[in-house]
Amino acid sequence: MSTYRLERRLDVDTKKQALTRVAGALIAMGVAGIILLLTGRNSFKILFDGLEAIFGSQRGLEGVALRAIPILMTALAVALSLRMKIWNIGSGGQFLMGAFAALGVGIHVNGPGWLVLILMALAALVAGSLWILVPALARAYWDVNEIITTLLLNFVAAQLVTWAAIGFWRDTEAAVIQSTKRVPYRLAELPGTDSLTIALLVPFVIALVLFWIFRSTTIGFEIDTIGGNPRAAAFAGINVRRRMLLVMLCTGAIAGLGGMLQLSAPGARQLGPGYEAQFGLTGFIVAALAGGAMMGVLVGGTFIASMFFAGLVLQTKGLSVYIIFGIYGLILTGVALGEMAARYRLVRVRDAVSSERVAS
Amino acid sequence: MTFALIQNGFLSLISSAIPASTVVVLAALGCLVGERVGVLNLGQEGLIGIGGVYAVIAVVTWGVDSPWVALAIGMAAAGIAGLMFAVAVVVFRASQVLVGLALALGGIGLSNQLGTNRNGVQVRTQFSEFSLGGSLVDGGVREALFAHDPMVYVAYVFLPLTLWFILFRTRHGMNMRAVGENPAAADAVGVSVTWSRIGYSVLGAAISGAGGAYMVLSFTPTWSPDIARGRGWVALAVVIFAGWRPVRAVFGALLYGTMFSLGLTAQARGWGFLFNATDLAFFLSMLPFLVTLAAILLPAGAAKIGKRVRSTAAPAALAIPYSREER
Repeated sequence: MSTYRLERRLDVDTKKQALTRVAGALIAMGVAGIILLLTGRNSFKILFDGLEAIFGSQRGLEGVALRAIPILMTALAVALSLRMKIWNIGSGGQFLMGAFAALGVGIHVNGPGWLVLILMALAALVAGSLWILVPALARAYWDVNEIITTLLLNFVAAQLVTWAAIGFWRDTEAAVIQSTKRVPYRLAELPGTDSLTIALLVPFVIALVLFWIFRSTTIGFEIDTIGGNPRAAAFAGINVRRRMLLVMLCTGAIAGLGGMLQLSAPGARQLGPGYEAQFGLTGFIVAALAGGAMMGVLVGGTFIASMFFAGLVLQTKGLSVYIIFGIYGLILTGVALGEMAARYRLVRVRDAVSSERVAS
Repeated sequence: MTFALIQNGFLSLISSAIPASTVVVLAALGCLVGERVGVLNLGQEGLIGIGGVYAVIAVVTWGVDSPWVALAIGMAAAGIAGLMFAVAVVVFRASQVLVGLALALGGIGLSNQLGTNRNGVQVRTQFSEFSLGGSLVDGGVREALFAHDPMVYVAYVFLPLTLWFILFRTRHGMNMRAVGENPAAADAVGVSVTWSRIGYSVLGAAISGAGGAYMVLSFTPTWSPDIARGRGWVALAVVIFAGWRPVRAVFGALLYGTMFSLGLTAQARGWGFLFNATDLAFFLSMLPFLVTLAAILLPAGAAKIGKRVRSTAAPAALAIPYSREER
C-alpha cells in the first residue's frame, strides 16, 4: 500500500518560495477567471479589454504609472516592516495623514514652489511617522499587537480627511461639496509625458536605498536578524525595541510621503473622501506577494498597479470595483498557500504502517 | 430637575447603545471562540458582510418570512466562509494573518457585489421587540434595558454566559483552552487539535456572521455597501481588551456602542459644545475608534507599569499553526 503525505523541508529556499508565492497568485487569478466565467462574465474578454486599456495607448501606460506611485510607496512601507515580521496594516491611514499634512502646508504657506514642495514632503514624512507613533511605542515597549492598533487609526484618518474636506479646509469656490482647497504647487513634469511628474522616480529611489540597506549595512542585517528570531537578536546584543521603533516610524514616513506624492497626480491636488482609494490594502498585497524583497515589490507593484488600473477602466464597462476586491482576496489566499507550499514536499510512503513506526 | 435630565439622557444613550453594540458583541464572541483554540481570524469585517448579505438575500429574494430562518442562513453562509478559512490555515497551515486579511477583503467584495441590486431595500422581515420585566421596573429603565428584540438578550446574556460556562466550567472547555495554549500537550492527551480548531473556527465565523445578519434584520434594517464599517476590527480589539473572556467582551463592545450612539445623538440633537455642530459630529465619529484603541493600550500599559491585571494574556499558541512533526 502506498500513500502520500506532506513532509516538512528542513531548509526553505527563498528563491523557490518566491516562485511558489507568484504561482499561488497566478493560480488564484485563474480561479477568479473561472468564477467570472461561471457567473456569466466573459473573463477572456475582460482580460483582453484590460490589456488593451493598458498597452493600447500612451495614456494607458501613464495611467498604470500614476497608480503605481501610491501603490509602490505603501508596498515599500509594508515590505520594510515585514522584514521585521511586523504587520503595518495602517499604511492607508499614514498615507492619508501624509497627504493631509502636505496639503495643510501647501495651502497655507506662500513661497517659492520648490521650497514649499520640500516643506510639504517633510510635513508628510513627519505626519506619516507620527500616525504610527502610538502603535509603534505600544508594540515596542508594551508588546501590544500592531495589527489592530494600526488598522483602527485608518478609520480615524479617513474621518479626519472627510472632516477637512467638508469642514475646515473646504473648497468654497468650487461647486463640489466634498473636497478641500487645491494646492497651487506641483512637482516638475517628466519630459515626454502628459501627466507624469518626478514623483514616479521616488519609489524607485526608495526601493534602491532599502535594497542597499538590507544588502550591505549593519542595521539592515540587524533588522533581518530580528525578523528571523527576536530572542536570538536580543542575545546578540541588538536593541530590539529601538530598532522596532525606528523601522515602524520609517514605514509610516514612507507611506506618508506616498500621500504627498499623490497630491501631484492630475486631478488630485486636493483631498476628499476616496483619496486613499484602497492604496494601503493594495500595497499590503504587493508586499505580501514580494515577501519583503524590495526589488520584488517593484515588479509586483507594477503588476498589481496595472490590474488596479485595468479594473478602473473596466469599471466603466460594467465590472464592479467589488469584484476587484474579491479577486484581491483570492490572490492573497493564493500567496499565503504558495508560501506554505515551498515549506513542504509531497513524499510517497510505500508502506504506511512501517514508516509511521520509523517516524515515531 | 437637572438630575432627572441627566438620568433621562443617560438612559436614552444606553437604550440606543445596546442595539448599536450588538453586532460588535456577536463578532467579538465569534472571534473569541476561534482565538481560544488558537485560530486568529482577522476576516471579521468580511464575515459580518457575508452574514448580512445572505440574510438580506434570504428575506428579499427567497422570501423567507421568519427572522430566525434568515439569521440561520446568514450564519450558515459565514460558517462556510469560516470553513474555507479554517481549511487554509489549519489543514494547509497557511499564515493566519494573510488568509484572515484575504477573507476580510474578499468577504467585503463578495457581499457588496451580491448586495448591489439590493442597496437600500427595506428588509421587511425583522426581529420584533420582546419586552422583559413588564411592570416590574418603571418607564425609563424599562425602555433602556428591557425593551429590545430577542437577539439582544441572546447576545448580551445567553451567549456570553454559555461560553463562559463551557470554557471555564466544563472539561470540554478545558480541552479547548489547552488547544489554544499548548496544542502539543492537548494532542498528547488525545484531544484532536485539527478538528477542534476547524470546528470552533467555523462556529466562531457563524457567530460573527450572526452579527451581520442582526444588523440587517434589526439594526439598520436595510442593506448598504460596506455594512461592517470597521465594526469587525473593533470586535478584534474588544477581544484583546476583554483579555479573551466572554463576559468582559460584552462590556468592551458596549463601550464602543456608547461612543457610537453618542455621535448619533449629538448629530440628531445638533449639540455644539466646544465646536460647532458639524465639527463636533465629525469629532465624535472618530471617538469610537480612538476609545477602542485606548481600551487595548491602557490595560497593556498598566500591566507593564506593574499594576496586576488578572490574566489578560493571549492564548499562547494564538496564530501559530500546529503540526505534530514540528514542536
